[in-house]
Amino acid sequence: MTDVRVPPGSGSEEDVRAAPAPSPDAGPPPSAEARPAFSAGLRLAVTGWLRWAWRQLTSMRTALILLFLLAVASVPGSVIPQQGIDPAAVAQYYTAHPALAPILARLSLFSVFGAPWFAAIYLLLFVSLAGCVLPRTFRLAGSARQLPPRAPRNLSRLPMSASYRTSLTPAEAVGSAAGLLSGKGFRLNNADGWVAAEKGYLREVGNLLFHIALLALLGSVGIGGIFGYKADRLLISGQSFANTPTALDQFRPGRLVTPGDLQPFSVTLDRFTAHYITSGTLRGQPSSFDASVRYTDRPGAPARGFLLRVNHPLSVDGVRVYLIGHGYAPVFRVTDGAGRVVFDSPVPFIPVEQTGLTSEGVIKVPDADPDQLGFAGVFLPTAVDVNGRLQSAFPAALLPRVSLVSYAGNLGLNSGPSQSVYQLDLAHLRRLPVAPRPLAPGQSIKLPGHAGTLTFTGYRQWASLAITYDPGQVPALISGIIAIAGLLLSFAVRRRRVFVRAHAAPDGGTVVDIGGLARSDAAGGFETEFASLAAEIMASHGGRQPAGTAAAGSADDGGSENARYGDDAGYDDDPADNYLSAPADNESALGHDEGE
Amino acid sequence: MPINTGLAQVSEHLLLSTVIIYAIAMLAYACDFAFGRVRAPESAPARAPELVGAGAGKAGALPAGGPAARPLDGADAGAPGAAFTSAATPRPGFWVRSALALTAVGLIAQIAGILTRGLSEHRVPWGNMYEFITAITCMAVIVLLAISLRYKAYYIGLFVLVPVVFALGLALTVIYTPAGALVPALQSYWIAIHVTAMIVATGLYIVGAVTTVMYLLADRHERRVAAGLPSRTTGIMLHLPKPLILDRLSYRTILFAFPVWTFGIMAGAIWADQAWGRYWGWDPKETWSFITWVVYAGFLHARATAGWRGRRAAYIQIVGFCCLMFNLIGINLWVTGLHSYAGLS
Repeated sequence: MTDVRVPPGSGSEEDVRAAPAPSPDAGPPPSAEARPAFSAGLRLAVTGWLRWAWRQLTSMRTALILLFLLAVASVPGSVIPQQGIDPAAVAQYYTAHPALAPILARLSLFSVFGAPWFAAIYLLLFVSLAGCVLPRTFRLAGSARQLPPRAPRNLSRLPMSASYRTSLTPAEAVGSAAGLLSGKGFRLNNADGWVAAEKGYLREVGNLLFHIALLALLGSVGIGGIFGYKADRLLISGQSFANTPTALDQFRPGRLVTPGDLQPFSVTLDRFTAHYITSGTLRGQPSSFDASVRYTDRPGAPARGFLLRVNHPLSVDGVRVYLIGHGYAPVFRVTDGAGRVVFDSPVPFIPVEQTGLTSEGVIKVPDADPDQLGFAGVFLPTAVDVNGRLQSAFPAALLPRVSLVSYAGNLGLNSGPSQSVYQLDLAHLRRLPVAPRPLAPGQSIKLPGHAGTLTFTGYRQWASLAITYDPGQVPALISGIIAIAGLLLSFAVRRRRVFVRAHAAPDGGTVVDIGGLARSDAAGGFETEFASLAAEIMASHGGRQPAGTAAAGSADDGGSENARYGDDAGYDDDPADNYLSAPADNESALGHDEGE
Repeated sequence: MPINTGLAQVSEHLLLSTVIIYAIAMLAYACDFAFGRVRAPESAPARAPELVGAGAGKAGALPAGGPAARPLDGADAGAPGAAFTSAATPRPGFWVRSALALTAVGLIAQIAGILTRGLSEHRVPWGNMYEFITAITCMAVIVLLAISLRYKAYYIGLFVLVPVVFALGLALTVIYTPAGALVPALQSYWIAIHVTAMIVATGLYIVGAVTTVMYLLADRHERRVAAGLPSRTTGIMLHLPKPLILDRLSYRTILFAFPVWTFGIMAGAIWADQAWGRYWGWDPKETWSFITWVVYAGFLHARATAGWRGRRAAYIQIVGFCCLMFNLIGINLWVTGLHSYAGLS
C-alpha cells in the first residue's frame, strides 16, 4: 500500500502483463469499432485508472483527508438544529429564517448525520480503511511464518549498536546471545556467526484489530439502524399502553422492521413522583424522578412491578424502556351549551421551561354543541405574580393555576392534514371574549353566549417513555472493547530487531557486535531497552569494551562511526534495509506499512 | 443527604490556597529561567556522554539524511527518562527544587480541596463546569509532576502552570458554582467512570498541547538560527531541550491520552445507553468529542507518515486541542443539549 502515484493510463509493468494480449487465432471482432489494439489499450487505460484510483483511495493521505472531512462535516450537526434530535428547534428555525431554512433542508443540513454526503465521506473512509487493513492482515499472517531477515554485515551502522571483546569463541558467543534473546521472547534466525532476533509482532496485530474493530463498529450501527426501532410514548399516570405502532406516539422503525416484529409487552404507569430541592441556591433543581410502573411480557401474562428511574431503564423481552421526560396533565371537564358533559379527561401540557416547569397545551372539544370548543393556555405549577405577569416559581405543583384562551367554531379535525394534539388550528375558530383569569383547581370559566363551561378539576403527572430495540448494541460494545484493546496493544508494543555478530579478531579473542533497530518507535524508548539488552549479553559473555567504543552507543555517537556512513554499497542489498527505511517511506492508511 | 456547607467552605479555601501556591511555584519556575543554570552549550567539550541534550546536540553535526532523524537514541541505560533531560546537570537547581516542592504542596491542597468538595456533597465532585475545571487542572498538574520527575523535564513546569493558574482562577471566580446535589440524569455510577476518564484524558491533552506549542517555538528558533536570522526566543531556548525532544514528549503524552479519551467516549456511550436509550445520538457534546477524537487520531497517523511529521503534525494536535476546548467551553456556554450540566446560566 505504498503511495506510488502511477499516472493515469500509464499502466505499470504489472498491468501490461495483466492485460490479455490479443490472441492471433481469434477472429476479427464482430464490431468494427472495437479493434483489438484499441480495445486492449482502452482496457489498459481503464485498469490503470482503476489501480491508480484504488491506490489513491487507500493511501494514507486520502485516509487522513477523509478523516478530517468527517470531522468538519460533523460540525454543522452541532450548530444547526437537527430533526432527529430536536424537531421543535428545527421548526423554530424555519419560522426565524424562512428564506434560509429550505436551502439548508435541501442540503440535508437539518439531518447532517443521515445526509448522503455525510454517508459518502464515512463510507469512502471505511472502504479506504478496509482496502488497507485486509491486505495487511494477510501480510502479517505471512510474516508470522517467516524468520527475521539475516543480520546486516555492518551492525555499527544500525541506529543502535554496541561492540565488545570476549574470550568465548564466535560460535559460543552467538549461541549464548541467541539463548538469551530467545528467553526474552524474540523470534530467532540463527546462522553461522550471527543471529537475528525480532519481537513485537503484537503491535501490528493490535493495530489491525483496532481498525477492524472500527469497521465492525460501523457494521453494528448499521445492524441497529436496519433491525432496531425507537419509539416514544407519553403516559399519564393511570394510563397503559401496548407496544404496537398505533399506541406509540412516535415510531421510528429500522428499514426491515415490520409492526409484527414488535415485542408484545404492555406498560401501565401507576404513579409518577418528582422531588425537587426546596432550599438553597439549587432550589427548584430536581433531585429524583420515580415512575412506578407495572408491565406484562405478553398479553395475559402476570403483571410485574418496576420502579422506572432515570439511569435505570426497564428491560422487557430484549427491549428497553426509559424514563426520559415528565410534565403535568391538568384535568378539565367541559359541559357544552346543551348542558352535556362532552369532555372530562387529563390533557398533557408540554413544559416550555425547566426552572418553573411552565407548560403549554391545548384542549379540543369536538363534541360540543352548538359549536366545537378549543382552549389554549399555560399550566403554572407554582403560580406567582411578578409585576402583573403570572409565572411559575417552582416546578412542583404547590400552587397550580391554569390560564386559558377560549375559542369556538370548527376545530378542523375532519378535514385537511392530520393535526398535532398540541396545537389548535385557528383558521375556523373565533376567540371568545372571556376575561383572562387564572383558574385554581375547582374553578370554572363560563363561556359567553351559553357556549358552555370549562372546569379545571385538578391535575395529574405524565412521564414520557422511550422504547428502544437495538440488536446492534452488543456487537457495538464488543467492537468497542476490541478497538481499545487493539489500540493499547499497538501503542504499548514496539516491533524491534536485534542482531548479534561475532568474529575472531586478528589479534586473538572474539569481537561481538550488537545492533538494534525499532520500527515506528516514534515515542522513543527502544534505546533504553537496547542498552540493557546489550549490557546483559555482554555480561553473559564476560565481555569487555574495546578502547574508544561505547558499551552501548547509538550510531550517531562517535565520529569514527559517522565517517563510515554510506561507504558500504553492499548495505543497500541487506534485508534489514527495507525495515530501516520503512517508517520514512510508508504512506499506508495505517502508517506503519511493511514497505517490502 | 444535606450538603455539608462547612466542608464545602473548607474546600473553597483549600482551592484558593492552591491557586496562590501554584502562582508562587510558577514564579519559582520563572526564576529558574531567569537565574538558573542553562543548558550546556552545544560545543562544550566536557559533556556527560549519557545525556540526551548532548546526543541531540550532536545530531546537527551529522551528515544530512538518515541519522539526523534519529538523534534521540540516548545511551543512558539506567534512567528511563534520560532521553528528555535538557540541562547538563542531572540534579535540579535551587529554583527548580523550590518550584517542584511548591507544585507538590499545591497539588496536595488541590486534591484535599477536591476531596472535601466531594465529601460535602456526598458524591463524585465532577457534576458541573467548576468542578470539572478543578479536576482537569489537578490532572494536568499530576501529569506535570509525573513528567518532571520521570523524565527530568523540569522545563515544562512554567508553561503548564500558566494555563493551570489561569483556568483555576477563572473557575474560582467566574465559573464558581456552590456545592449541591446532582440532577437525576447524573445520578449514576457511570459519572465516576465516564467523567473521570474524560478528566484524565483532558489533563494529558493539556500537557500535550503545552509541550507541542513549546516544540513549535523551539523549532522556529532552531530554524531561524540555522538560517542565520535573529531570534527573540534565544534566552528561553537556553533552558529548553532540542525541538525533537519536546516533540517526543508531546507525542508520548498524547499516546497516553488518546486511549483514555477513546475509553471515555465509549463509557459515555454506555452511560448514554442507560440514561437516554441510545449509545450514540449526535448530541452536540458527543459530536465534538467525536471531532476531537478524529483530529487526534489524525495527529497520531500524521506522526507516523512521511511529510506530515514535525510541524504539520503539531498543528493538527493544536487543532485537536482547540476542538477539545471548544467542547469544554463553547458547547457548555452556547449550545443546549443533553449534556448541559455546566451549572452556568
